Amino acid sequence: MFRLLFKSFFRTKIFVLSLVLLMAVGLISILIGKQYLVKQEKTILAAQEFQNNSIQRNLEYHNDDLGLLLYYLRFTLIKKPANISAISIGQSDVNPLLQAVTIRAIEGQKYDNDFENPALLMSGNLDLGFVIIYLFPLVLIAMIFNLYSEEKELGTWRIVAAQTARKATFLLKKMLVRVLFVFAVLMSLLFMASAILQIPMDQNFWAIFLQSILYILFWSVLCLWIISLQKSSNFNALALISIWVVLTILIPAIVNNYVMNTYQVPEALEAMVEQRDGYHEKWDLEKDATMTRFFEAYPQYKNYPVPEDEFSWIWYYGMQEMGDLAAKETSAEMAEKLQLRTSVSKNVALFVPTMHAQLSFNTLAGTDMVSHLHFLKALTEFHKNLRLGFYTKFFDNKPADTIDWSSYAAKFYTIKRDFSWFYVLLPTLFITLIFGTLGVLNLRRL
Amino acid sequence: MRKNVIFLLARQLCKDSFRSKVMIIALGLMIFLVLFSAYSGWENYHDQNFTRDAIQDEVQESWENNPDKHPHRMAHYGSFALRIKHILSVFDLGMENFVGNAVFLEAHKQNTANFSEASMSTGLLRFGEVSLAMLLKIIVPLLIFYLGYATIAQERESSTLKLLIGQGISRKEIVIGKWLGLYSLALIFVVSTFLVLLCFILIASHDTAHGASLLRYGVLLFSYLLFFAILCAITILVSAFSSSAKAALVKLLGIWLLFVIIVPKSLQAIGYYLHPTPSKIEIETAVAEDLIKLGDSHNPNDPHFTALKDSVLSAHNVTKVEDLPFNYGGFVMAKGEALSTAVYLKYQKELYEVYTKQNDVERYSAFINPYTAIKNVSMAFSGTDFHSFLHFKDKAEAYRFKLAQEMNRLQMEYIPNKGKAGPNTISSKFWKEFPPFEYQFMPISRVFKNELISIIALLLWSILTFFGLFKLATNLKAI
Repeated sequence: MFRLLFKSFFRTKIFVLSLVLLMAVGLISILIGKQYLVKQEKTILAAQEFQNNSIQRNLEYHNDDLGLLLYYLRFTLIKKPANISAISIGQSDVNPLLQAVTIRAIEGQKYDNDFENPALLMSGNLDLGFVIIYLFPLVLIAMIFNLYSEEKELGTWRIVAAQTARKATFLLKKMLVRVLFVFAVLMSLLFMASAILQIPMDQNFWAIFLQSILYILFWSVLCLWIISLQKSSNFNALALISIWVVLTILIPAIVNNYVMNTYQVPEALEAMVEQRDGYHEKWDLEKDATMTRFFEAYPQYKNYPVPEDEFSWIWYYGMQEMGDLAAKETSAEMAEKLQLRTSVSKNVALFVPTMHAQLSFNTLAGTDMVSHLHFLKALTEFHKNLRLGFYTKFFDNKPADTIDWSSYAAKFYTIKRDFSWFYVLLPTLFITLIFGTLGVLNLRRL
Repeated sequence: MRKNVIFLLARQLCKDSFRSKVMIIALGLMIFLVLFSAYSGWENYHDQNFTRDAIQDEVQESWENNPDKHPHRMAHYGSFALRIKHILSVFDLGMENFVGNAVFLEAHKQNTANFSEASMSTGLLRFGEVSLAMLLKIIVPLLIFYLGYATIAQERESSTLKLLIGQGISRKEIVIGKWLGLYSLALIFVVSTFLVLLCFILIASHDTAHGASLLRYGVLLFSYLLFFAILCAITILVSAFSSSAKAALVKLLGIWLLFVIIVPKSLQAIGYYLHPTPSKIEIETAVAEDLIKLGDSHNPNDPHFTALKDSVLSAHNVTKVEDLPFNYGGFVMAKGEALSTAVYLKYQKELYEVYTKQNDVERYSAFINPYTAIKNVSMAFSGTDFHSFLHFKDKAEAYRFKLAQEMNRLQMEYIPNKGKAGPNTISSKFWKEFPPFEYQFMPISRVFKNELISIIALLLWSILTFFGLFKLATNLKAI
């Protein structure tokens, strides 16, 4: 029976068409992922070279003045690339891969953008995640929408009905053939991605794998449910495409607009101004205005003298810190708001499988906003360690060549990609079960 | 062709549509969506511009309130340029949320435009955003296909087409009548959307240039009217030449998916694949290397700056820089600023050329995809395309350069050379004299120039589809 069903399916036009379409677009998306990884590698090499060269060059000019040297030197913190991010590029094209910062105020540096074509950002990356979330359901719909209605309309259903005792089982089998085919394409694309992009088959990969399977299963049972209503082919096509539009375009976009408007982030712009003013106004104030608070924060430096009527680096970097201090509260509020945006989106997504698939792909690939926020936190810490490492050196007026510069190469930060299996799999599973039950119940009345 | 027959057919199509459940559901949904996107677009426009205006004023105020100081301190104090949204961004968000909103303008350094909405967004942004234009470009075409797929194919299937022709109605009249009916349905959406938009333009308090906005509005309205005329013609033609209504529906849905969703995105991705962009750090490295070659003001033995010094000294007949009639430090910085800005802009231009090449792959597809044409026209005239952003960035950079050079000039003029007597600061009145950053939107003539390709494509499409309607109608099969 199954063999016959497979055979007849393989003879259809839609089979060849969808196989070619999915494979071609899937391969393109994997290649785009590859290109993304290559670009990351190139950028990292360039950053490492930039840092080494600029240290060497500036050392020549400013060896006697460590404070001035450090005014120029930039130190790089890089998100350690993980190949799994090529499956779901997510927000990692908007948010920079690395940040090269001086030891001056961090607030004015940590949000610096990388260059990216906004037209590309707008149209979004054609990564494998996109192919799975958008194209697979469409192909599934195209194969299944007239499974029952066409036989009915052509009049062949009566022949089938006369020949089989269990009509519903026959229909389910026919559908199973198609769903299995889609699963086969999906799995082969994922394994191809793993091979071409050299993605280790770790927990995160399998989580993406299972999430994809569940997601396609969700669409299959949704199609089944629509079929089980036993309407005409035209109705099914209209209904399924409309559902697709609502789930992949309208609801996510509406939620996005809502989140953006409800949780606006004027703090971003405010913190930027506060930092500048907090630093610059100190030039016009008594040195005490800076140093009292600086020594409060760092009592260990209390004994260093601050000359009253001339410039000193301890005062200068103290003023820089005051800039960060002035923006600290607003900056924290901003981070909180961004966190809030994420949690609201994630909560809504629990009920919408498309959104959930996208967000959980990003989380698993470490390309969501939360992992960038973690990076920014690590960057602030990195910056603090740099400062504290250098402070006593130039407070003591040590020349630059007493420092072991080889330990100041670009540093890597490892993105956290931990996740909860329940969070990833349960929501889609639950919704799938609901529609599956509804569909099967309807079919029993066939 | 008889007018009354065409109108009768058109009216009949509208009437039938309003009787169908699809239209009722679609209308309800559209009303909700239009209201939602109008509200959210307006709120976004209003709140964002309010915040940005307030901060721009605050920036100016704190600039002016600086006490007497050395002008170079002020060059580092710098300023900010905040990007103001165009009122038509209520209509089409375009790239609005993917480009930066604030640039810090300081001496010696071109900063990136930061805090784009995208950089503060969750992954949901990738699904797109709802705006009035998005509804017109993506959702309404689908609706038109739903409403129009059966028009002629169904009549043929149920043999009523034969009856119509038998009653002496010409094939041309049938096709044009059906087209007109479908177009009237499309007009309901277009006109109501544009009426809402007109209200926004008229009440926008931010917008001082009503005239220019209304002109842009006019172009947008005209383009969308053309776009829907094309779309309805395509629908009718597909319906007319399909064997059954079902076949027409499948074809139209395929066209929609391919041309609205898959092709534009794939072409953009291909453009990116063909023309890879360098990363910021690579460009910064190149700029730094070029500057070292041309002249490194930090290097005391740099040949470029030594030569500059010698020529200045001999021109003024002095032997030491201290004896020059102007502040030498200010002079060197002015030269350095001009040099580094020129190098930076050269690389930036190259980068933008790469972007343009990337985008052109999709832009030129307007000749095979009318959706691309309307997409680009819509963004450009709403002031939310890439060129509008570049225009802002250029103005901000020009202001930065002016600010840095003005401070250098003040230093040259009023600050004595090292070792000479005189004050090391200048009066704060100079800060007040320096004009604030005020952004004017791109003149509409430049928008026309930027979008010439898309406009031509749109016009060609309308000619083509109308030719199709009139010529091919005669070949319409009755059975």
